Amino acid sequence: MEAPIIDPLQGDFPEVIEEYLEHGIMKCIAFNRRGTLLAAGCTDGSCIIWDFETRGVAKELRDKECTAAITSVCWSKYGHRILVSASDKSLILWDVLSGEKIAHTTLQHTVLQACLHPGSSTPSICLACPFSSAPMIVDLNTGSTTALPVLTADVSNGATPLSRNKTSDTSVTYSPCNACFNKHGDLVYAGTSKGEILIIDHKNVRVCAIVLVSGGAVIKNVVFSRNGQYMLTNSNDRLIRIYKNLLPPKDGLKMLDELNESFNESDDVEKLKAIGSKCLELLHEFQDSITRVQWKAPCFSGDGEWVIGGAASRGEHKIYIWDRAGHLVKILEGPKEALMDLAWHPVHPIIISVSLTGLVYIWAKDYTENWSAFAPDFKELEENEEYVEREDEFDLVPETEKVKGLDVHEDDEVDVLTVERDSIFSDSDMSQEELCFLPAVPCLDIPEQQDKCVGSCSKLPDGNHSGSPLSVEAGQNGNASNHNSSPLEPMENSTADDTDGVRLKRKRKPSEKGLELQAEKVKKPVKPLKSSGRLSKTNKPVIDPDSSNGVYGDDGSD
Amino acid sequence: MASGGAAAAAAAVAPPPGYKPYRHLKTLTGHAAAVSCVKFSNDGTLLASASLDKTLIIWSSAALSLLHRLVGHSEGVSDLAWSSDSHYICSASDDRTLRIWSSRSPFDCLKTLRGHTDFVFCVNFNPQSSLIVSGSFDETIRIWEVKTGRCLNVIRAHSMPVTSVHFNRDGSLIVSGSHDGSCKIWDTKNGACLKTLIDDTVPAVSFAKFSPNGKFILVATLNDTLKLWNYATGKFLKIYTGHKNSVYCLTSTFSVTNGKYIVSGSEDRCICIWDLQGKNLIQKLEGHSDTVISVTCHPSENKIASAGLDSDRTVRIWVQDA
Repeated sequence: MEAPIIDPLQGDFPEVIEEYLEHGIMKCIAFNRRGTLLAAGCTDGSCIIWDFETRGVAKELRDKECTAAITSVCWSKYGHRILVSASDKSLILWDVLSGEKIAHTTLQHTVLQACLHPGSSTPSICLACPFSSAPMIVDLNTGSTTALPVLTADVSNGATPLSRNKTSDTSVTYSPCNACFNKHGDLVYAGTSKGEILIIDHKNVRVCAIVLVSGGAVIKNVVFSRNGQYMLTNSNDRLIRIYKNLLPPKDGLKMLDELNESFNESDDVEKLKAIGSKCLELLHEFQDSITRVQWKAPCFSGDGEWVIGGAASRGEHKIYIWDRAGHLVKILEGPKEALMDLAWHPVHPIIISVSLTGLVYIWAKDYTENWSAFAPDFKELEENEEYVEREDEFDLVPETEKVKGLDVHEDDEVDVLTVERDSIFSDSDMSQEELCFLPAVPCLDIPEQQDKCVGSCSKLPDGNHSGSPLSVEAGQNGNASNHNSSPLEPMENSTADDTDGVRLKRKRKPSEKGLELQAEKVKKPVKPLKSSGRLSKTNKPVIDPDSSNGVYGDDGSD
Repeated sequence: MASGGAAAAAAAVAPPPGYKPYRHLKTLTGHAAAVSCVKFSNDGTLLASASLDKTLIIWSSAALSLLHRLVGHSEGVSDLAWSSDSHYICSASDDRTLRIWSSRSPFDCLKTLRGHTDFVFCVNFNPQSSLIVSGSFDETIRIWEVKTGRCLNVIRAHSMPVTSVHFNRDGSLIVSGSHDGSCKIWDTKNGACLKTLIDDTVPAVSFAKFSPNGKFILVATLNDTLKLWNYATGKFLKIYTGHKNSVYCLTSTFSVTNGKYIVSGSEDRCICIWDLQGKNLIQKLEGHSDTVISVTCHPSENKIASAGLDSDRTVRIWVQDA
């Protein structure tokens, strides 16, 4: 993104719903690394990949055998693979480009959340957090599972963990134990039902450190920021806690081993706790002390500067935005449909939220027209500035005017070829090719009766073509107030490519420009449409084949 | 012609030592009216030309033979653009539509994009080839989704015909030039105007294009001038003169396969090549019998293709000797 001319004056978080996406009932979402594609898992078992730039469906991953609702989606590091977990206890690994299924594993329990190993582009292992047992590492090629030790009893004597997740003093049930990989993928951070964070070396299946979360409430989510430096936990006590990751990004295991050597407590558990205190540092706690909201799907912004949490109690759709220092900066309120899932775009200040009805809302900054962009030498000022005129400002021929002409260092070398590396993604291993977008294949037009549309005089100048079945005007700005649109509106586009008849609806906020355009079209008289459009403009000085190449004489105004 | 000749002579052609001049290789005939645009595909295997005879021709870039003629427009074609994978061509026509064609057999017209209310004059794909931007005589810029053909955005960009539109390297910006003398930069996502580079009513901006790295913009104005702008600072860095350009919207381009040059057509029937850094005119290629309206450089070989207007109607290929 070419940064220099984007307006930095506004805060870097979204404010309004810009648009919504509709395609079936979507339940969970995930961006790819660069935010160019958005994967959404649906209740019918399919996974839709949206092209985020065009806001259109790029691909559908559908399996005839799997029709159970999707519970989570996860991209591989460079976007080539997607892992999908469904409510029929299965995990499916897809190849994105071809749309083919690579692996299909069925587990013993339904998985609430599954993450692919973040370290490689073609990962074979993933971390699965089932609803009612300990998180496990699943090998997707062989289907074997390795449960991770999450009960303290198992930690100290190294026995294989029990599948049930009850602690001795709680009466009931399952407390889903949530876990995630760190950025490098060598460690798993698991939040337990006793309010502890366990740092686990998943390769050797051993706990390396324990971090106690004050209050001891069940931890529901453990999430890392994109750069791996910050982590947050969402607990049952309605608090979101932000931690700083003190371990180095790539040598986490090594440092843990070193810490292991340095501490010499006799009790294993105490030792692990001591190590844990050196791994995570609690920065802040967020809560809404008035409404005591249970948070849903908290996560970081792409740059880690903001934290968002969703509030869905009583069927509301609210997104709270805090800055990392702990201040609540905004509450976004959406339509009265409970919020299910949240994601922040990796690069832009855009938030995606999924509602209970299956719609995906896109929140973006409310763009206000930057008027200084219309004149080359305008400069926006924050406030009034006292202007002190130059000594010779009002002279008839000021000295400085003469110099102003060509203030150009004309001999400087200009480099038109080198591309600067994108600093946001500089941590990536550039040798891997990343899948940023899926090739757009134009779908064939349905052949129309009227091919040459120019002769039909019944159409209004702004081009609503009542003749052709494929009216292309769907997304036009200003069409929200459709005074002259025919019944053939957004529907028609979908008939060509949607075989299951789902309508693709788009709502665009009518911009000022769009409304002006509408108003003007109403005022403008209908131009007589002759078969040769060229001749209708009588003020064209040259009526011959060359006129379309821009022979615009002196008085070219209409 | 005397003054024109004197001006041309004054901008003396001065090739640097070691420069291998381009020479004429072949003349391709096939169009029945002025050729308006010619472009090499991004993989270099094909060459496409558009003409006011309402057709486009796809040529083989290596054999320089005619492969197919794309028929379908009801009026002359003013511009064409290749998709990044070289599989699709989009053409802009006076019949107010754009058409997306397949560049391989059976060379179907896949989509027709309707919406503009006047001649469509310029067109380009974004680097991901998921969007098409078009500029028209109806003074608007439209952004279309390639897959469905939907018009995603209509930008009321200028107060006179839009002569040129181009995406930058990552597709986030669009530069547009117009007869109203302004050159503006737009945000692809929401159509907001981000910057105005030039805002004088005279001279008209006939062509604008981003450099390969997206940092600079090459702007042609109808006062025989080409300027290279740094759009972040809003200042131009280089001026190229010595050609004639006051009537038509000539396209110019960067030549980077063997040294860095600016190549442009000219209304004195020549093709002008300047050294990018030194701004001096290095070579003038003669051979066309009318204004050279469009030039294109092969992506990897030292090959230039050029198109001539009505008295010429040919596409000429020029190569550099090894």
